[in-house]
Formats: sequence, C-alpha cells, structure tokens
Amino acid sequence: MRIAVVGIGIISAAGMGIAQTLESLRAGRSGIVPEPSHLATRHRLPVGEVARSNAELSEALGVTGTNSRTALLGMTAAAEALADAGGSRSNTALVSATSVGGMDLTECFFEEFGADDRRGRLRLAAHHDCADSTLAIARYCGVDGFTTTLSTACSSAANALMTAVRLLRHGIADRVIAGGADALCRFTLNGFRSLQILDPAPCRPFDALRAGLNLGEGAAYLVLERADEATKMPYCCLAGFANANDAYHQTASSPEGEGDYLAMRWALERAGVMPEEVDYVNAHGTGTPNNDLAEGIALRRLFGERMPLFSSTKAITGHTLAAAGAVEAVFAALMLRHGEIYPNLRFAKPDSRTKLCPVTRYRRQPLCNVLSNSFGFGGNCASLLFTRAE
Amino acid sequence: MEQIIRELKEQIVEALNLEEISPEEIDAEAPLFGDGLGLDSIDALEIILILEKNYGIRLENTAEAKPHFYSVKSLAEYIVANRQK
Amino acid sequence: MKTCCYIERFATHDALTADPKKLVPDPMLRRRMSRVVKMGVLTALECLQGERIDAIVTATGFGCLADSEKFLRNLLERDEELLTPTPFIQSTFNTIGAQVAFLCGCRGSNTTFTHRGRSFESALLEASMLLAEGSARRVLVGAADERTPSQHRVMERMGLWRGREDGEGATFLLLSRVPSSESRACLTAIDFPDEPLDKEQIAVRYVADRVLCDDYALTGCYPTASARTLVHGIEALGGSVRRVAVCNSYLDNRPSIIVVACP
Repeated sequence: MRIAVVGIGIISAAGMGIAQTLESLRAGRSGIVPEPSHLATRHRLPVGEVARSNAELSEALGVTGTNSRTALLGMTAAAEALADAGGSRSNTALVSATSVGGMDLTECFFEEFGADDRRGRLRLAAHHDCADSTLAIARYCGVDGFTTTLSTACSSAANALMTAVRLLRHGIADRVIAGGADALCRFTLNGFRSLQILDPAPCRPFDALRAGLNLGEGAAYLVLERADEATKMPYCCLAGFANANDAYHQTASSPEGEGDYLAMRWALERAGVMPEEVDYVNAHGTGTPNNDLAEGIALRRLFGERMPLFSSTKAITGHTLAAAGAVEAVFAALMLRHGEIYPNLRFAKPDSRTKLCPVTRYRRQPLCNVLSNSFGFGGNCASLLFTRAE
Repeated sequence: MEQIIRELKEQIVEALNLEEISPEEIDAEAPLFGDGLGLDSIDALEIILILEKNYGIRLENTAEAKPHFYSVKSLAEYIVANRQK
Repeated sequence: MKTCCYIERFATHDALTADPKKLVPDPMLRRRMSRVVKMGVLTALECLQGERIDAIVTATGFGCLADSEKFLRNLLERDEELLTPTPFIQSTFNTIGAQVAFLCGCRGSNTTFTHRGRSFESALLEASMLLAEGSARRVLVGAADERTPSQHRVMERMGLWRGREDGEGATFLLLSRVPSSESRACLTAIDFPDEPLDKEQIAVRYVADRVLCDDYALTGCYPTASARTLVHGIEALGGSVRRVAVCNSYLDNRPSIIVVACP
C-alpha cells in the first residue's frame, strides 16, 4: 500500500511557511543568527531562531491565552499543511513529536516555584507535558481521530511519520497529520552547551573543521493519505522507513555508525530500492565531530564509492531537535516535487576519514529516490525513503 | 599532591555517582578511561567541571588537555601546575 | 480497533524478585540511573528474562521528571553556568527504552510515546501494529512514571489529588505475534471511544465478562497507571471470566479501553 504526501507546512529559521522557506533554500540563505533575540538566555550563541515573538505567532493564529512556544509553532505549521492538503477530512489522526513540550513555560514557572513551592502561576505549569502541544494542535486543526505524541529525542518526527504510515495501513485513520515541533528554550540550549557540542560560530556540517551544532527551533507537518485514496496530487510517496537502535551509548554514536547504517539499509529494503537507485540523501549532519563522522562512515558502508549526492540542511535551519525529521521530510517533498537540491552551507574541506563532499550550491536535478536521516540520543536512528509520485 | 589526589578521588566519586566504589579503591595511577576505571565521554565533561568549579581551571582546548586526563595522578599534577584557586 | 497478539508474560515494579545487581551487573551502568529509569529498566529486564526481542516500545506520561527538575534547578540557580550534563542526558523521554536496548542488544525499532493518560495505550497500539504487519515477532512494551515532590505539589495545588491517591510505577509486557503454551492473554482490542461510558456500557460494547476501571487506591494515580491495571485484568482471566475490558480515564472524561481475552 503506497502512502502519499498530500500537504506540507513548515515554520523555522528558514522562513514562515512553504513559500518563504523555498526562497531561503534556493538562495542558500542561512537562518542562523549570531544570538537569540526572543529567548531569554545569557548565552550569546548562534541559533536558528524563528523570527517571531510568541505574541506575533498568537496573533497570526488568532489565538489568545497561554500557549507554549512549541504549541504555537506546531499550530502554525500543522494548519498550513492541512490547508495545503485542501482542508479537513473526516477520520484524520494527528501524530506529533516534541522533546521540550512546554518547557519554556515551565522555566518561567520554576523561577518562582523553585524558591517557594506556594508560588509560581499554575497556568504556566499546566503546559509542561509533551501531550499539551499535540492537544492544542488537534483542537486548532479540528482533528477528529486518533491523537498521540512521540518523543525519541532528535529522531522523534521521523518516528512520528512511521507511526502515521502504520495508522493508515491498518485502517485506523484515513488521513494523518504527522510531524513535530520544538521551541528553543533555556533547558535545551544549556543542555547541549553542557555537552560542549555547540559551535560558537555558525555550524559547518561535514567540514573537516566542524566544531558542533547550532540549536534551531521550528515545526513541520506532512499530511499523509493512502495513495489510492489521495484527495490531491501528491508531492511524493513515503515508500520506506526504518527505526534502528545503535545500542552503544546514551549520547555518542558507535564508531562504525551501526545504527545509522541499519536504519538506512532497512529503509531501502522496505521500499525495495537498491543503494545505487538513491539519488540524494538529506543527512542528519548536525555538525558535531562525532555525528558527522559516524554518519559518514555509515554512508560509506552503504554506498561505497558510489555515493549519491547529499547535503545537511541544518546549516540553514539549525538543529530543530524533535522537529528535524519533519522539517527535512518537508524539504525532501519539495526537492522531489521541484527537481532540485538544497545546499550544505559553510562546507570547505572534506573529513580525511570519509572524504565526503556534500552539495554546496543549489542545483536543479530530477530526483526519484530521496533518503532522509534523523539520529538521536539513546542511539535512536531513523531513516525515511521518499519516492517521486508517479 | 597527596592532599589533592585525595580530594580529587572524593570529588570524582561524588560527581560521577560511583556509588559502589569508595575513593580509596581508586588507583591514582590507573587509567580513568577505557580499561581502567571505565569512564566515558560524559564523565570527561563532569571532570572538566570539577576542574573549573573547584580549582578555577578553564580548559580552552580539551584536545590538548587530554593527556592530563589519563589518571587521577596526572590530573592532580595538572591541577597543582595550573590552579587558580 | 481490533488487535490480535498474545501477552506472554509481564513484570511490575512492585513485584520485582531479581537482584538489581544481577539484572544490570555493570555498576558503571547502574550509576547514572534515576529512580524512574531504574524502575523501568529493571522491570523491563525482569519481564524479558533474557529473551530476544525485535522491538521495544515504551510509554511515559511525564518522562524523567527528577532529572529534568535537577537540570532546570541548576540552570536557574547557577545562572546558566557550570552545569553538569548528566541530568540533561538522562532527562530525555526515551532514556528507558534506550537503556533496555543497550542492555539486551536490541537494534530493532525503539519508540517512546508520551501522550498524558494515553501514553501506554499509544505504545500498546504501536506494538500491536508492529506485530500485525510482520515487522516484529516479539515486542517488549511497557510504561514507567515517577512521582517527585515538585510534581506532587504542583498537582496538589491544581486540586488534582482530591479523592485520588498519587502514585508511580513501571509495568512491562512481552507481546508475541503467535500464541504459545505460556501465553497469559490475547490482546483483542484497543479503543478510544468519543464519549464517556459507564461500566455496563463498556461490558456490552466490548462483550466483556468483567470491566476494570482505574482503581487509584490500588495502583496510585499516574499517567501510565493503566498498564498496571491491565496486569490486574490479565490476572482476572480464567474460569467464567473469558474477557476483561480495562478502562482508563486519567484526567480525562473520555476513556481508553484495552480488551484482553483468554488465549
């Protein structure tokens, strides 16, 4: 049973909505800014911040009251995806991924509660759990079917898309809105800083001198339907996918990139696509020395000398954590629809161990099979294979 | 030096939650990482914090500092030579 | 939605028998585990009994609360400087699933659902879909949530403990695509009705001989308590009780239903 992508929506540092995002991607314009302007942190670190305040996001959505930034970003992107798919349809499910949920509000709550547990506005604490943003999106978009939330760190949204396919194949839903949302917050910025994997300069995925990642924020959703019942001309099909575990270490990738390799190999097997038929890989490519090396080794293991074109678009968006798999799935849909590849910015010199050189300039190129990688903490590796719609 | 080695062992046991090892059981000359005590990359970050918090040592280049992280003894020597507090 | 897979066995945190040091022999692995991680991982391993599995699906309503709070407090108290990374790493929602995968060498699908009172039902649905489509023959599925003083206090101020006992726990089940002589139950349905239902309506709709609703006096109230109630349901099977429906309405007036039958 083929699964079609019939609608897409996105908000990230690369732009508000599909049209603006497409402009940035084609122009190779980075959304990374030298320091955050909406996030109240003392750190002056480059981030891929969405250039809208919570008030501006709320106003554009027409919502009032307290909402986490994750929920606001999620509502914005999910509503665009739904409109792009031609509006609502009955028996629609929502599978949403997030890793921070309402942590931005919890941080504010704890500023008072931390010192005195009788203080702190409960309204801020009520949005803490991951389900909160999903339920807000479901209400806003009028989702009438099954709703759930997934959280597997940086591979979350890719896993949400896999669950979405299952819900369609098992007839539990006739349409699924799937993707993820994560807002920048002090918790994650400081968390990644404590791991010493943030590049103090704009990130350089796959470059020999890469020095870490830049955190980003955003949300992206895809509307999926069974291809034979698709209500609209699809962007592409989600033909294969796999979730594999590195089973090596909580944060570090195994030296031979075992989980990365298995996820990609199994995704191709499930789709019935041979490695040499892959035209392009959207790499996880965070820009950390460890990730890009393990992923590079896994790519070499799978493709050998016949390496397809590839790039990491995180130099444009920053690493949007739980949303990344969906952000990059939207990019894959756009690349397949328009026959083009978006560049890996700031790459200068290949890593001598893998000798991999990504696409560094926007190029027109007809594509049939696109692989998209998302790897996360806990060895959680996910790979999605998108094919051109017939 | 002996004093710093003793302090360091206690700080390591506490920061790394080595609940089942007593500071005295740590061999000051044995490797901290890999085959010795079996610490990993996250522990290295915790030890960097010990140096910064307790001895005022800020590591600018962690790759260059790597040899000093071989054992408790080499760390203690590095602290004696570089401590700011 | 109808399902058809078999519950081979289960383990609950309150009935752990094995020595933690035997389940996780390496002290270097035990040392970073917070209470919820320890509770979840030990329960999972006891359920597994060394058996090979193809996938792991976990559920948690709140995730690793204690570590999240520790990192958050440090961040605020130390003004974003000199933060230790361990609680941040351990705060991710998939920590338990990842640790179990690491300890049993399971490289297959590994997913974590965190959807308030429907976290466990979501995980169970995912597991049953993995089995039905043939992606896995055996799946470990489970849930864990911990109680912390701050969470207790916040929810107390919200008035959520009125008439309820708060709680925590971990429950894991080993699911199989095909039955065996050891199968404890057949999982026949997971459902999310749109409207509130009383016990009689549930019994009629799901043709159940017995209906078990949340009993927080028994399990304590936490987002994934229905996993523990499901075990009560499985234990109730036998004799004239051929089919049991477990009804969960955690902080929600719309229930989730899990139906198990004699294998």
